Amino acid sequence: MNFKSLDITKLDRRTFLKVAAAMGAATFIGTYKADIVKALELSDTNIVWLEGADCCGCSESFLNAAYPDVIQAITRLGIYVGYHETLMMQQGVFVDGRLVGTSELNSELALEEYMTGKKPLDVLVIEGSIADGPEGSGMYTTVGGHPFKELVERCAKQASYVVAIGSCATYGGIPAAKGSVTGNMGAQFLQTAKGGFLGANYVSKAGLPVVNIPCCPAHPDWLTLTLASIIIGKGGLIELDRYNRPTVFFPPDYTIHENCPRRGFYDLGQLDTEFAEGHCLWKLGCKAPITHADCATRLWNASVNMCTQAGSPCIGCAEPVFPDGTSPFYVGMEMMSTLAGVDIDTIAKVAIGAAAVGVGAHAVRRIVMKENE
Amino acid sequence: MTIVVVDPLTRIEGHLRLTAEVSDGVITNAHSSGTMYRGLEQILKGRDPRDASRITQRICGVCPTCHAIASVSVLDDAFGITGSIPKDALVVRNILQGLNAIASHATHIWVLWLPDLTHPIYKTILETVNLKSVWDEFVGRFAPISYSIEGKAVPPGSSYLAAIPEKKALHEAEAILGGKMPHQMATIVGGVTCTPTIGDIGKIASYYVRVMEFVNHYALGLDALFGITDPLEVADAWLGLTHDVSKDKAVENLLGILGGLPTDDFSREAGWSDVALLAAFGSELIGETLLGLPASLKLDMIGGYPADPTKIGFLSYGWYYAIKEGYDPTSTKGERFITSGFTSGDLKYENFNHLNVTEHVAHSFYTSGNDLRPWNGETEPVKKAADIKYDDPTAKYSWLKAPRYKGIPCEVGPLSRMINAKEPLVMGLVEAFLKNGYSPANVYTRMLARAQEIIILARELKKWVLVDLDPNGKFYTHADLSMAKDSKGVGLWEGPRGALGHWIVTDENSKIKSYQLVVPSTWNLSPRDANGKLGPTELGLVGSKVGPIGNVLSTLGAIPLSKEVENPTAIFHVGRSYDPCLACAVHTIDKGTNKKYELRLL
Repeated sequence: MNFKSLDITKLDRRTFLKVAAAMGAATFIGTYKADIVKALELSDTNIVWLEGADCCGCSESFLNAAYPDVIQAITRLGIYVGYHETLMMQQGVFVDGRLVGTSELNSELALEEYMTGKKPLDVLVIEGSIADGPEGSGMYTTVGGHPFKELVERCAKQASYVVAIGSCATYGGIPAAKGSVTGNMGAQFLQTAKGGFLGANYVSKAGLPVVNIPCCPAHPDWLTLTLASIIIGKGGLIELDRYNRPTVFFPPDYTIHENCPRRGFYDLGQLDTEFAEGHCLWKLGCKAPITHADCATRLWNASVNMCTQAGSPCIGCAEPVFPDGTSPFYVGMEMMSTLAGVDIDTIAKVAIGAAAVGVGAHAVRRIVMKENE
Repeated sequence: MTIVVVDPLTRIEGHLRLTAEVSDGVITNAHSSGTMYRGLEQILKGRDPRDASRITQRICGVCPTCHAIASVSVLDDAFGITGSIPKDALVVRNILQGLNAIASHATHIWVLWLPDLTHPIYKTILETVNLKSVWDEFVGRFAPISYSIEGKAVPPGSSYLAAIPEKKALHEAEAILGGKMPHQMATIVGGVTCTPTIGDIGKIASYYVRVMEFVNHYALGLDALFGITDPLEVADAWLGLTHDVSKDKAVENLLGILGGLPTDDFSREAGWSDVALLAAFGSELIGETLLGLPASLKLDMIGGYPADPTKIGFLSYGWYYAIKEGYDPTSTKGERFITSGFTSGDLKYENFNHLNVTEHVAHSFYTSGNDLRPWNGETEPVKKAADIKYDDPTAKYSWLKAPRYKGIPCEVGPLSRMINAKEPLVMGLVEAFLKNGYSPANVYTRMLARAQEIIILARELKKWVLVDLDPNGKFYTHADLSMAKDSKGVGLWEGPRGALGHWIVTDENSKIKSYQLVVPSTWNLSPRDANGKLGPTELGLVGSKVGPIGNVLSTLGAIPLSKEVENPTAIFHVGRSYDPCLACAVHTIDKGTNKKYELRLL
């Protein structure tokens, strides 16, 4: 297929994002620059990027965007970063309790302009989970003296699109894991349960639910391509799975295991029992067979590597049940008592269907049997 | 008295609120509040201890690798195998950490800290002292993205734009061994999971070369100064002048470089690298007194401490394993590449012992015990919304605990590491400031120490990659869960931002019973302790002039104090200095002679 001859404005959503993903962020943006520019109508796309209970890793990851890099992406896509705590020039300044200066110098005044609708809030990106505790106050995370959840609520009301980035903002992630006392949750999910902070029925001004781009951290391509789709007016065409992940990056019928660089060892039954041996990591706890993401074909950090290729079992960080449902990380799936929230049918279809030999098939059968008991 | 609150202090990782009481333009009291609680210590309870290394590195996406290594160190100890971790596994851990440390330092310097110098108030000030051309360099090099001044868009600066791809390149290099970044995956109890090949070593080396091209051209300017263009030569050349000589000579060499630069052309091509610009114009002592420049930003006048060893110390747990099989989990003096140590506020060194670390919670939002060692540590947060408030400093006012070493608040980070290691350039500068009546630790020395550490790490990194790493070596020693039954361990390491300790206690099922972390920012940004002692940032703010006009011009002239507190640059600079930093600099020479120096080496 000659991608360059496509009229992207006429593509159905499945094809559109498949084309975008297949071309890679750089080619896609480069090829359709004219359409992008047309869609922009010479105005910037304002992004407000809020950070709650986060580690900043998704922002760091976005800065790792390869081709285009983050500056190129921002320039070519006409992105104006109206608020981003880690990058912006401004900070919040209060003198005797009053906000001072202008929105050019005071971050809280800058944010206020978007929260009141004075400036259009085109895309709200949420990084980090949203604390509800203690006592429903949200005071476990505050920014500028306000509970973070209030900021999310106000911005979500104004935003044309909302993108949650990383495991924490999507499904709650580590701050919402077992043992948490903070009431942290994702923007529209808590693990696999729909609802989260904004509620199951929330839709942004463009009529979409929160687009979830999980993983710890999220891959920069996933965000760049999602933003590009939104900016060229194709945000509504992003096909989402039942956890509101774009299916093009997180295919429901495909797991990392299928294209794992160590897949050959699995097929030969060479399953390591010690680390740094170089073969299949199934017995060492790899969760790639239950993790839906294109890590193995896209690879990470300008495609130099991925977790399993570096000898590390996949820890399933793209799944809504991460970390509780995919841990203990270093215990093989057949040895785990539960695999919380995982679509067992999918495991069976993918792993058994693909595996001709080895302990793998046996292990999956055990999981399925346990589940049926 | 005026109350100035900066919240959020942006361009740092995380959520921080700094409160200052200001009288006559001087900060008279200060409070530092962490405003987010995630409760990772509780989340870790009952889990497989091996999972801690994956979970704890997610504390910070800017410097995840240090947590991953502190965590596998705590496990190596709890599993009883610190003595048998293979040499090449330790080399890989060093390489992962070295790459992340340089990336983290570079991000802090160019992306997070330097944009502060493009605050429009500096335009006014620098024009007043006839240094508009210096302002032009600041804004042309250090302006951040999506920035505008008086409604006019300011394009991102040249150094800013050049630094981001280098940070990215360092992450790519780390991913070659670690799988991905942030949150690499290769560190594990017993060693590492990866088995580097000759090809991997070659790829990392090629990344190293391109990063050193940036360091040379943008940071140090050895190309413009001395015609040095070989990236592999950069670290050796710079350290030959500033690190491999006596501390007097190190400072003398730096003054020589700065003193030889033209004062009518501040361009990069004229030799004014980013480091040179900041080394000269950042300090009153160096820039004005010793080099005779007409003005400086006086970063050496803010963020300092009183010379009182009961109020402040400088702590380092020791960083980077020695190149041999096994290591000492208690990190005794000289055991690590950058040594552990405790140096008092009046600069007296003593050996470090982790059992001297305790944490206070008197002003922290916790109800658990006070002054506990981490092995006995508790983390029980307040559970009532009404108990979480930031405007009453007599009560609890921060989510950070207050760690103390023998009861003393400590600065941690590059400056503390360089002081404990007696690094010649930093030590020379520290002593020069002390001798001339300045606080030896200040915003300026803090920044210089971090820049210098990049180069020190860069030289060692080259050796780890090209000499020490044996692709045919051993990368893992057996560790199974039963070895962690009823055990405990300590993981002592350093992050880019300073001393980092993880402590674990396991139960009879080898599960985590207690996991406590004392992280660098907790040291640097701690609130008061039970004895009312201020945390380092709080102490560093007190006595600083709050705004740039009073600090730089030493007079407010006709400007009302109300305008000055609206741009409280001291809070920005001091707060951010514990994390990011820049430059490089100098130390005392004969006042007034302003003499030029012959540079032996180059």
